[in-house]
Amino acid sequence: MSVPSAAEVEHADWPTLQRMCGSLGLNPKGRSGVVRMRVLEHLRRRGRPEPWRAGRDHMAALLTRLGFPDLSEDLWESAIRLDAPAPWVGLGQAQVAGGFLSEAVKSFDRAAQMGDASSLLHRAEALGAGGDYDRAIAACESYLASHPGDLRALGMKADFLVRSGFKEEAGRVLRAAADFHPEFPFLRPAAGTAFLKAGRPEVAVDSFGPSTRADATGIEGALNRGAALLVLGRTREAIDIFQKALETDPDRAEALNNLGVAHLQMGERQAAASNLARAAKLVDSPQIRLNLAKVPKAAPRDKAKKPAARKKEKP
Amino acid sequence: MLAPDTARRFLPSVDRLESAMHAARRAFDQGDTDGALGQLGVALKLKPEYDAAWILKGHVLQKAGELEAALDSFMQSLKCNGDSKEGWMGLASVLHGLGRLKEEAEAYDRLLAFDPRSLEAWIDKGAVLHELEDYPAAILCYEEVLALRPEFATAWNNKGAALLRLGREAEAARCFEEALRLDPDCVDAMANRTYLCEKQGYHGEAILWADRALRIREAPGLWYAKGRAHLGLLESTLAIRSFDRALALDSTLKEAKAELRRAKAMRGKSDFYRGAYECFGTHLAGDPGCEECEIRPRCREVTP
Repeated sequence: MSVPSAAEVEHADWPTLQRMCGSLGLNPKGRSGVVRMRVLEHLRRRGRPEPWRAGRDHMAALLTRLGFPDLSEDLWESAIRLDAPAPWVGLGQAQVAGGFLSEAVKSFDRAAQMGDASSLLHRAEALGAGGDYDRAIAACESYLASHPGDLRALGMKADFLVRSGFKEEAGRVLRAAADFHPEFPFLRPAAGTAFLKAGRPEVAVDSFGPSTRADATGIEGALNRGAALLVLGRTREAIDIFQKALETDPDRAEALNNLGVAHLQMGERQAAASNLARAAKLVDSPQIRLNLAKVPKAAPRDKAKKPAARKKEKP
Repeated sequence: MLAPDTARRFLPSVDRLESAMHAARRAFDQGDTDGALGQLGVALKLKPEYDAAWILKGHVLQKAGELEAALDSFMQSLKCNGDSKEGWMGLASVLHGLGRLKEEAEAYDRLLAFDPRSLEAWIDKGAVLHELEDYPAAILCYEEVLALRPEFATAWNNKGAALLRLGREAEAARCFEEALRLDPDCVDAMANRTYLCEKQGYHGEAILWADRALRIREAPGLWYAKGRAHLGLLESTLAIRSFDRALALDSTLKEAKAELRRAKAMRGKSDFYRGAYECFGTHLAGDPGCEECEIRPRCREVTP
């Protein structure tokens, strides 16, 4: 649609005015006279573009990032308009940075009420920062109701679930995210890891999928898949995975440790001890030292019998 | 034969006089007050009765904050040339700075006696009469301006402000409307319209105009008026924000402090939020936008 003239706006009926707002990206809500004035103002300002200079909103956003939330808050307050949600979001972020979390939640609520759905995620962040994970999760769910596959929202929800102790639910959310976004290969291992941490290794193995890559990018997932198999007693498969991982990165202490533990389960004492000792050299971890201590020492060799002293023959 | 110095004074080189005046003007433009005064000293030595030099000296001194000395300079300029419009305007401006408002008004009268079409003088005379609370006389001044230039938005706004002081609200509203029709960015007219709406109890309209004015220029009084209007619409959070901003700009605003306390107390009981509805509090029966409005019942309640 071409830009309407002032005369067209003056004489536009209500549906036309609504269409104009839609095409110009303006808020279409309100009394017709006010909406008409909004469109006219927009056209008037559009007709004489002023040279760019940092506005109050630009400066406020920078001040938040530079670590001056109180100054930023003042500037955002002066930039607040009744027809734009963005300053409320900016104000909320400044309040989060300043530690005023409940005020921030209110500011994000304002923006959400003005139709800015993304402010629900900001709200969730503020609630999460304050430790109110239930409401943070609810805010993510409100956002997901209108944006079901949004990766950021799914990731945030999973994170809040983990932080509030619901690791298995977090795994499910991550698996849903992986189904929505097969283009992101890191999601399946993340879901598997969450299930593994939740004590559900059998579900974790499913989530990792049949072939988690043990290359440089997927090594973390591969190690966790190996760990799940190890927990399930599928030790030989786990050993294969750890060995493949070590082919990619021979100095990976977790892989050495896990391989050592797997060998230990198999009763291969020597292999276990050598891998765990290598891991302990690479990383000084109490867990690795503990595993090393569990390796039984070799049974002491029988003493060689000394030849009996020859008795002097009696003459 | 004249002494060499006297010869320089009474037989000045026009070139030297011009170059001293140019140098003074340049120094003044660059903010070099001392340099400008030095050059003006040279010029006035060359031509002691040079009104343009006295006027420039008056402006320099006024900028330097030496109002009494500036007043002397402008008076000297008028002794040299009693029909100097710039001299009278400068004199009036210094008198305003000194708070001698009646004398300022007389200065405009003297100017208007020989130049009755000076819009600047009529407007400024109206403004000083407004300050002296002689609103009917101020209105007459603005009417003189509007007779000469009916499209002068500032004159419409000032006339509206004077009418508002006289309690003639309907006429004032028409003046502000005219000012905004002629200059949609006339921030003073927006501010005056805010005060008028607030005085009439039209809180929604007051906020609408305050918002528009504040987008162009911030003023603590305007934030205060906006805060009061939000309170009238039971919007405590928005009221708090407005009072906070007013106090950030002027921490001495006692009324804003008191109203801020009231808004904070009210927040626990009532805190309405209008969402996307900029026009909240301005319900108009039968309007298509109002018919579709999601907060219509509440808007109806608070619309006068």
